[in-house]
Order: sequence, then C-alpha cells, then structure tokens
Amino acid sequence: MAKVRKVMLTDVPTLKKEDKVEEAARLLTKTDNGCLIIVENDVPIGILTELDIVRHIKSKNIMKQPVSSIMSSPVRFMTPDMKLDEALKIIDTKRFRKYPVIENNRLVGLVTKNDVILAISDNMKLHRAIQNIVLILFVLFELFVFILYEPLKQYLGG
Amino acid sequence: MIRAKNMMSREVIAVSQNSSIMDAAQLSLSKSVSSLVVMEKEKIVAVLSERDIIAGVLLKKSKVKDVMNKNFTTIGPNTSFNAVSRLLRQKQTIRFPVVENDKVIGIVTETDIVQATRDFTRLHQVVQDVILTIFGVATAFFLFYFSPLRVWIFG
Repeated sequence: MAKVRKVMLTDVPTLKKEDKVEEAARLLTKTDNGCLIIVENDVPIGILTELDIVRHIKSKNIMKQPVSSIMSSPVRFMTPDMKLDEALKIIDTKRFRKYPVIENNRLVGLVTKNDVILAISDNMKLHRAIQNIVLILFVLFELFVFILYEPLKQYLGG
Repeated sequence: MIRAKNMMSREVIAVSQNSSIMDAAQLSLSKSVSSLVVMEKEKIVAVLSERDIIAGVLLKKSKVKDVMNKNFTTIGPNTSFNAVSRLLRQKQTIRFPVVENDKVIGIVTETDIVQATRDFTRLHQVVQDVILTIFGVATAFFLFYFSPLRVWIFG
C-alpha cells in the first residue's frame, strides 16, 4: 500500500500568523494549491484556504488583518509514513480537504483528499490487473476441463 | 459507462460580466459553489473562481470582466468519464462547464470527478470480486474432482 509521502506536495507555501491577509491573497493567486499553511517555528498551527478569504472579503480592512484572524486552527496533521487508506479514513471523518504533513515536528508537505483518492484508485488498477490474470488462468482451466478433457482421455488410451 | 451528465452538478450559478466582484463573491458564498460561470446573451463567456475573486480584490478591480478567466475548457453531456479524468489530470483546470447546443446545462468540478472515480472503483472491484469467486469455486471443485483426494474420501 502506498504511503502519504508518495502523493504529498512538498512545495507548500507558508506564512507566519502575524502576516497580513493581503500577503496571503497574493501568495494564493500565485500558487496552485489553493491553500496556505500557517506555521510557527516550522510547526503548522493553521490552514488558510481561498474560501476563508472569500468568506471575509466584504469585511472592512480585511486585507490588513493578520492571517491568524481568519485561518482554520487547529489542524489535523498527517505523517509521511501513514498508509493511504488510513489517511482516507481520517479524511472521511473530517470536513477538510487539505492536510499538512509533518515529520519530526516540521512541516514537510501537503496532502489533499483528491490526490489520496486518485492514488488509491490507481493502485486498484494494478490490483485489478493481477486479478484479471488469475481470472484468465481459472477460465483456461475450466475450458480444458469442459472441452478438452474427454477427447484427450480417449485419445490417450481410454 | 459514466458520462459527464451523470456526474455534473446541475446547479450552475451565473453572473454577468458587468456584475461587481463583491456581488459575485456573495453569490458564490450563498450558493456554496466554488466557481461561477459568466454568461452573456445566454452564452458562456468565462468562468470565475474563488482565486479570481481574490485576485480582483487584491488588484482593486470592481467588475467581474476585469478578472474573469476566459481560458476554460467545456465538455459535452456525453463526454466519457475517462476523457474528463484525463483532462483533469493534465491539471490545466479543475472545472468544466457542460455545454449542450450552446447552453450551459451543468458543471463538472474536480470534486465530482474524484467522487465518481471513487464510486466507479468500488463498483468495479465488487463486480470483479464476484466473478473471481465464481470461477475460483468452480476451479477448486474441478481440481478436487480430478484429484486422488476424491477417491480416498468417497471411494
């Protein structure tokens, strides 16, 4: 079973909690992840998504507020050695779609719900290929029994 | 076969090019959608994502047309699941308006595709397990039938 390490993104944009929302907005529009991790001494303390900003976009001076005022905190971590189906179990019980990955108390990556599901389904493809081979062997054997067994027995001296 | 029409959300929230970005933000929040389509004379001209809204506020723009994304990919209602997931994996975009006879009838997002992948994988697996079990039992029966074990047991 593949592990979280294999599907996580390692290039995660981070900010400190005192950074301004404006800075966060700028980073979000420049990167593809759709979220930022808020860290304090390399430890993730919160997560900020595009939706969090849109939700507060009407409030006055939101761009000058610190990111800590609108981030989701605390966050559920994953570790790089977690198996993908364990990760999916956690994801299914939470409403979040993105999770920081930590190792030795340091942020090392970001894993998304979609990447985990797609990776699991890719793994299943291999699994299915093996099952198909086994199935073909079974079918060949049964073919042998039904069609070839009798004539073969007679031919050999029946 | 799963097609785009089976996995799309039928609720498409539209804005016009001249709407204000704030109104668009309010609309996407109240309808809980992550992207809007921009329509002009009943035709889709662009899509507007949360990121575009944020970019608009950052750049102090006020109208949807200043930040909307005209570079989008549409699909038809009969586009196959495989084709859509290939499009998604190329990672150019994560939302595909579904267009039929020039009318937008739905939208397929990354979440819809991933959910369909999940259901499809599960169904496929169950079907395959059942077939494998049937053939496995038959094979086991025949192996037993032709083995000396049968003679020892049943004489």
